Amino acid sequence: MRRVGGAHRGLDMWLLQRAGALVMAGYLPLFAVYAWVAGAADYAAWRALFSPLPAKVGTLLFIAALLGHAWIGMREIFIDYVHCARCLIVRLALLFGLAVGYLGCLVWAADILWSLA
Amino acid sequence: MQKSRPYFLDLTAIRLPIGGWVSILHRLTGAGLSLAVPILVYVWMLSLRSEADHATVRAWLDSGFGSLLKLAVLWGLLHHLFAGLRHLLLDLGWGKEKTCARKTAWTAMGAGVAAAVLLGVVL
Repeated sequence: MRRVGGAHRGLDMWLLQRAGALVMAGYLPLFAVYAWVAGAADYAAWRALFSPLPAKVGTLLFIAALLGHAWIGMREIFIDYVHCARCLIVRLALLFGLAVGYLGCLVWAADILWSLA
Repeated sequence: MQKSRPYFLDLTAIRLPIGGWVSILHRLTGAGLSLAVPILVYVWMLSLRSEADHATVRAWLDSGFGSLLKLAVLWGLLHHLFAGLRHLLLDLGWGKEKTCARKTAWTAMGAGVAAAVLLGVVL
């Protein structure tokens, strides 16, 4: 039977988390330079940063990578520390709750970005 | 598998090498940032929603408590970034020799603090 808990899908998760890390490590300096060049001193300029479609798409991809990266990291922490005889169900509940919350954050971020002119 | 493994968690007696500190701080900052995600999205939303909300966020980020929290988030993010890059290089087999690993650990630690202070002044 497929085991649902614990570190039995470690390698794919490990790889995905590092892929997400690379996406973020690419986006952050790029965005910093973009914001530096375009300027973000006041509200209008800050809003204008996220208005072009490439900025919206790039930022949403960054947030998706961040949420996936964070979920895998928290999964690792739960696997390491949430240990007891009946903790499998606790761990699964934590992971499920976190996944639902993060999916909510992703939709929320999309709404924030696409509500800008 | 052995049922009861040796257990030692006397935090006052454990002496971590610098690489151990970078690693445990990488985990702690990661956990902290993960839990802060909804708050950060909320602040980001406020900063974009209206001129008035943007001004509120700006004023709060410039206040004493706000700038402390801002520095904490910046340091957490940057330490996590630099320690993470170091771990990626270690995964690739680069810098595993002890003196080199200690140097890169100190570098990651210092870079996180320095970049946080620099960005904290700019933002």
